[in-house]
Amino acid sequence: MTWVTFFGNALDPKVGGIAFFGIFLSLVVFLIGQYLFKISNGFFLFQPLFVGMVLGIFILWLMSKWFGVSLPTFYQAAYKPGGDILFWFLNPATIAFAIPLYRRNDVVKKFWLEIVLSLIVGMVISLFIIYYVSKGLGLNNKIISSMLPQAATTAIAMPISGAIGGVPAVTAMACIINAVLIYALADFLIKIFRLNSDPVGAGLGLGTAGHTVGSAKAVQLGSIQGAMASIAVVVISIVVDIVVPPFAHMMGLF
Amino acid sequence: MASNQQASKTEGTVHEPAPILQQMGIFGCVLFVSSLLSPLFPKSFPVPTPVIGLVLMYVLLASHIIKLYQVEKMADFLISLIAFLFVPSGVQMANSLNVFTDDGALTGVMLIVTIILATIILLVVIAYTTAAFMAVSRKVFHKSTDIQ
Repeated sequence: MTWVTFFGNALDPKVGGIAFFGIFLSLVVFLIGQYLFKISNGFFLFQPLFVGMVLGIFILWLMSKWFGVSLPTFYQAAYKPGGDILFWFLNPATIAFAIPLYRRNDVVKKFWLEIVLSLIVGMVISLFIIYYVSKGLGLNNKIISSMLPQAATTAIAMPISGAIGGVPAVTAMACIINAVLIYALADFLIKIFRLNSDPVGAGLGLGTAGHTVGSAKAVQLGSIQGAMASIAVVVISIVVDIVVPPFAHMMGLF
Repeated sequence: MASNQQASKTEGTVHEPAPILQQMGIFGCVLFVSSLLSPLFPKSFPVPTPVIGLVLMYVLLASHIIKLYQVEKMADFLISLIAFLFVPSGVQMANSLNVFTDDGALTGVMLIVTIILATIILLVVIAYTTAAFMAVSRKVFHKSTDIQ
């Protein structure tokens, strides 16, 4: 079997079950990212996740050109079966954040009121700023609605986006870019905005802006940051559930 | 990770980690029960399975039904993998790159700029709001905000 017939089979939607390619490609691009990150002494554009994403899309694009099919078709047939298997593991990985959270239960018990209030008030302020920034950049209402729920995890943000007149696919993309950006830029942003002095605030911010990937970054920064990011992932999703629809209604977005 | 090990020692008795298959079993149970609970929430108030699972696992730990040594190793392993596990989500954008070009290239660029700004806004606003609430606790309610 030549390479072309192999991928020819992979492209057949009836076969579709060739999951190895997706897993293999994901591993290879991520490892290349890790290598680049290491030899560039941690240059932020060479974060393994960012490199993996860009390189992965680029390779799929090259191959789709080579086989003369559209990129989405090639992605669906060749990459998605394997990608979905890896994607599934985000479920137990999200649950795993209960452990760094419980490890700093002392902080949770002492500051639970401050944490909940900060997330609610911070979310409302963020919504106003995001609304006026997107308005100022000339985006239409459909896209603005898609921008509002992005602090929640994708599974919550997408239906809310649809319900307030947004485009769920755009919201999902925003959630992904959030995570990739926060993972790449967290150290830099924490430094220039001087968020280091308050580990609780830094943790909550990372969990809100970067979802579970931001929490993984926060766990690396310290146990308090990790615990606070974990609690932020849960609480902010509930806050978005409650706050965003009335906000969009108030702003007349739908 | 040094701080994490320190934290687990303050738990009291130091245990050998439970066998990895047992740890997977606990994760599997929590995931399964959460997947049964998730559809019970109304459509207008979606709560996905992993979020319920996180809360459930935390409740089980806080009520000492599950001990840290029974799940710790698996959890640390999974968290260390998160960035890699997110690669398929990133590559998934290959499927919907058209959202950037649908309304014209200018809108696409503005969309990316907005998402980048929104990420920074969320991080900074939440962090500063928290700092403000902590300051209120400290100065108005005279609560100590020192944490080790």
